[in-house]
Amino acid sequence: MATDTGVDVVMPQMGVSVSEGTITKWLKREGEHVEADEPLLEISTDKVDTEVPSPASGTVTRILVQEGTTVDVGTPLALIGDSLAAPADEPTAPPEPEQAAAEQPAEPEPPVSPPASAEPVQEAVAPPPPSPAPPEPELPPVSPAPAEPTAAPESVNGKTFVSPVVARIASEHGVDPQTVPGTGRGGRVTKRDILDFIESGERALAAVPETPAPSPTLPPVSVTPPPASTAAPTPRVPQAAPPSSPAAPPAPSPAPAPVAAGGETLEPMSAMRRGIAEHMRRSLDTSAHVTSAIEVDMSKVVGIRAKLKSEYQSTYGVNPTYLAFIARAAVTTLGEYPYVNGEIRGDMIVTRGYVNLGIAVELADGKGLIVPVVRNAEGLNLLGMARAIADVAARARSKQLTPDDVAGGTFTITNPGGYGTFHGTPVISQPQAAILGTYALVKRPWVVTDELGEDVIAIRPIMNLTLTYDHRLVDGALAGRFLRPPPERLQTWGETDY
Amino acid sequence: MAVAQRAEPVGSLTEVREAGLDQEDLLQIYRNMLLTRGIEERGHILYRQGKIPGSFYTGRGNEAASVGVATAMGPDDVGAPLHRDMGVHVVRGVEPWRIFAQFMGRADGPTHGKDGNVHMADANLGLIAMVSHLPAMLPVATGCALAFRIREESRVAIGWFGEGSSARGDCHESMTLAGTRALPIVFVCDNNQWAYSTPTHLEYATEHVADRADAYGFEGVVVDGTDVLAVYRAAKRAINKARAGGGPTLLECLTLRMEGHAVHDDAFYVPKEMFERWAESDPIERFRTWLQTNAELTDEHEAEIVSDVKKTLNDALRRAEESPLPDPETLADGVYATPEDLETPHHK
Amino acid sequence: MAELTYLQAISDALRTEMRRDKRVFVIGEDVGVYGGAFKVTLGFQEEFGAWRVIDAPLAETAIVGGCTGAAMMGMRPVAEMQFADFISCAWDHLITVAAKQRWRVGTPVPIVVRLPSGGGFSGGPFHSQNPESSFAHVPGLKCVCPATPEDAKGLLISAIEDPNPVLYFEHKHLYRRIKGEVPEERYTIPIGKARTHREGDDVTVVTWGAMVYTADEAAQQLEADGVSVEIVDLRTVLPWDKAAVIESVRKTSKVLVLHEDTRTGGFGAEIAATIAEEAFEDLDAPVKRIAAPDTPVPFSPELEKAFLPQVEDVVAGLRDLAGY
Repeated sequence: MATDTGVDVVMPQMGVSVSEGTITKWLKREGEHVEADEPLLEISTDKVDTEVPSPASGTVTRILVQEGTTVDVGTPLALIGDSLAAPADEPTAPPEPEQAAAEQPAEPEPPVSPPASAEPVQEAVAPPPPSPAPPEPELPPVSPAPAEPTAAPESVNGKTFVSPVVARIASEHGVDPQTVPGTGRGGRVTKRDILDFIESGERALAAVPETPAPSPTLPPVSVTPPPASTAAPTPRVPQAAPPSSPAAPPAPSPAPAPVAAGGETLEPMSAMRRGIAEHMRRSLDTSAHVTSAIEVDMSKVVGIRAKLKSEYQSTYGVNPTYLAFIARAAVTTLGEYPYVNGEIRGDMIVTRGYVNLGIAVELADGKGLIVPVVRNAEGLNLLGMARAIADVAARARSKQLTPDDVAGGTFTITNPGGYGTFHGTPVISQPQAAILGTYALVKRPWVVTDELGEDVIAIRPIMNLTLTYDHRLVDGALAGRFLRPPPERLQTWGETDY
Repeated sequence: MAVAQRAEPVGSLTEVREAGLDQEDLLQIYRNMLLTRGIEERGHILYRQGKIPGSFYTGRGNEAASVGVATAMGPDDVGAPLHRDMGVHVVRGVEPWRIFAQFMGRADGPTHGKDGNVHMADANLGLIAMVSHLPAMLPVATGCALAFRIREESRVAIGWFGEGSSARGDCHESMTLAGTRALPIVFVCDNNQWAYSTPTHLEYATEHVADRADAYGFEGVVVDGTDVLAVYRAAKRAINKARAGGGPTLLECLTLRMEGHAVHDDAFYVPKEMFERWAESDPIERFRTWLQTNAELTDEHEAEIVSDVKKTLNDALRRAEESPLPDPETLADGVYATPEDLETPHHK
Repeated sequence: MAELTYLQAISDALRTEMRRDKRVFVIGEDVGVYGGAFKVTLGFQEEFGAWRVIDAPLAETAIVGGCTGAAMMGMRPVAEMQFADFISCAWDHLITVAAKQRWRVGTPVPIVVRLPSGGGFSGGPFHSQNPESSFAHVPGLKCVCPATPEDAKGLLISAIEDPNPVLYFEHKHLYRRIKGEVPEERYTIPIGKARTHREGDDVTVVTWGAMVYTADEAAQQLEADGVSVEIVDLRTVLPWDKAAVIESVRKTSKVLVLHEDTRTGGFGAEIAATIAEEAFEDLDAPVKRIAAPDTPVPFSPELEKAFLPQVEDVVAGLRDLAGY
């Protein structure tokens, strides 16, 4: 094709949380001349509709994206050739920053514990209204954050430094070193620490689980894992850990031992439990947890599933679980909402063209949690999804996961509903931006429209879905928009859909 | 002030017989000298044709000294010849094709391409391969003599060195050890009067290198290095003496290096007259004349010998050129010796 | 079994070989009548005669070079340098002729050069060095450094047997200070194989020669701290037992390389680089080196103490590693 000499016109970011924009109108055609700063096209975003001025003078040599298309921020929209200088100004046009504040900031959610108490927690969710609202000057998250992005701290800066052997062992065992209590200099995880951690975890997992997999209900899956994300020692915690103290002989716990009062029993926390505790706390400290919920009428899915079930079992040896349907719907939707599949890294936002879907798997009597990852879930159809989920769940329970299996997740689905709970507020698996919760399928009286257009009461199998999201990256409006398509897809699932 | 003796030229055939050589021996000596020169002349051509990598050295003018001493060695004697002593390899029986293969760095050369020039030797023929640091082989030759002495064997070691390298400590140390212990060694100094571009008076302050022998407690003899029979006789005497327990001799063979230090050197620093004068004393010419005069060498016979040598060289060259280049995989072979390597005639 | 000093073990090895094999002879300065500067060959000339225990002139090149020539003629010479430091006089011969002869022309050079090395007694700059790293760099040579009497005897016998030029570094400061059980019969210790001097789980010390004892004392102190130190005695510096070292590194993940020779370019650098290259993913701490500083060996005891790695230095280094 033609040489690339020219200036790109890209989709601007009209506000921090804006992830995409739609071209509503091109003001110039291919071949037309345009002056720098002259309006070139009109766009519509979550926050605002606006004109985009041309970054340069020249000829519009190519238009890459058509009217009506929604693309991610930063996508090249057109090419201007023979341009004369004109360093493009950020179309940071108008004062449109954010209306972040409009939504409720995340309230500290009570950490979700496994099945147990499903408090009908207050939804600290933002009302969905997209756009409007007067723009307020944003708090600049963009400021030179004290958070050092990547680069390991100069010296052994506590937890964040992972030595080669610890990195290797972590990778081999699917353990996130961040979850391991460290006794080394500055609190780093030593080889001994991680080996002890794994050993205690193995003892815990020794009593292997029951339920192979699918039952009419969703696979027993639990909440919030201490996920093994990438083994890379990128600091997640913006704050620096306490500086190292001169080497002392490796002593485990410095704190004075707790004492049991009358009637109390003390038992030591296992290394795994300590790890879980640490991760939960850190996740809540890191992300601004907000949960939005939506209800789904699963009657269509129930019917289709019933039809597919025997075929799937006999032909493929796999159960088309509700989780598979939901996962399919969610993954498809993620493609349109990259921020929900994204990540904050330093002061950059990471988005991907793929979805590595974490499936939270409970292991044996609540002793352990693990989140194996189905890689490139966006490429799986219903059958593929069902298979993949069954496979990772089985391997998780039989401790056959490889390091790759627990690394690199971009979005997680968890099912606390296996025990009958209809709502929950899971904890996000760092460094992801969101986690989808699925709950019990409950028959409820439901208002439906009959064939005469009248409202009637029917009995429908209803499932609650929650999206717990990091409001630093995903606003309530976005979350709300994300939550709309999956129920729609599930409620209109066609017999031939896959 | 000269201290060393001067060896007398060999006059007649009778003297020759007394020295232990018959007609056949004489013709063989002649042939060996021709072969020696022929190998080097051929090599020189190959080098200029780009078929020999690195550098190329000749001992033109030293044919009598090298062949003469080597002819005087006994079959069980050992020696460490240098780069002007091609004649020693020839006399001891190294096949010319192997020498060409060595020059060209081929796999069938004695060092299989690992070293070049005349840095080669067939241990089975009692020869020790030289190194570049001279006279590093003198301590080694002295050590051979030490072994013979310890075992009380009647074998002799010959250590060659140039007049330039006589300046270096290895020479002094070797002669000290050999002299104090009266070891069975003959130190042969190839004095071709130029160490690269350095003349003799900058290498030693005495009249002859051999004058030093007295300081080490043994005899020094200077001989006309272009007279193969004189060399032979002097060498024989020294070797016999050593063999009989009489200790070392320093035999200095005087010649002129007729070409540059290496063939890339045009030796501009050598006065033309020197070349002219010594050219009149060409060892091969001299000996041919002597043979014709004293040993009835006919033209036909001489032509036969020359032609035979030529054929030998042609065959040798062809065979050497068929030898393959060394396989890089063999680079690390043999850095360390194994016990099997000790299965040689020398390591009894 | 007999209890011998390190020096006696060396004599024992030499005597055993000279009795067994007529090809073996000793040559060096003052080795005959005087019995050697350190008396290793005391009584040898009386037993073996003046042509097997040869008093050489003060001429290291002739001594070592002479050994090469004699070895080529079938003898098994054992040269003694009066002090390891004097090996520099024969350095040229060793690296130019002896090291290269087998590779170049197929001629093995089965010689041994004994090198009384090391400091600790105010020997000064020229009587105290540990020159093994200069030679460890030369393909074709072998360098052995026994630390115990048992290893001293077995390694010297192996060295004499070996068809290659072997430099035998005997640490002077161990001569009479160290005693140990030594089998009375003839035996060999393989060249190129390390020995675990002390087993441990938390930190590895790789070392050789007199430093083995320094490391051991330090390890004892660390034990009281609850740190278990493993000591790998290389015994041979060239070729060194890489496998044994890597195995220990895999076990403990923390390693200290200790040698008495000076730091820069000391053989410890080669070991450290290899560990970093081949056991990177097994490291729980950086590879540490403790060695003498980059100066000549000083004479005055105060200075020498600051020069030679002391037990306290090793203790501090180990504590640092353990607490990393």
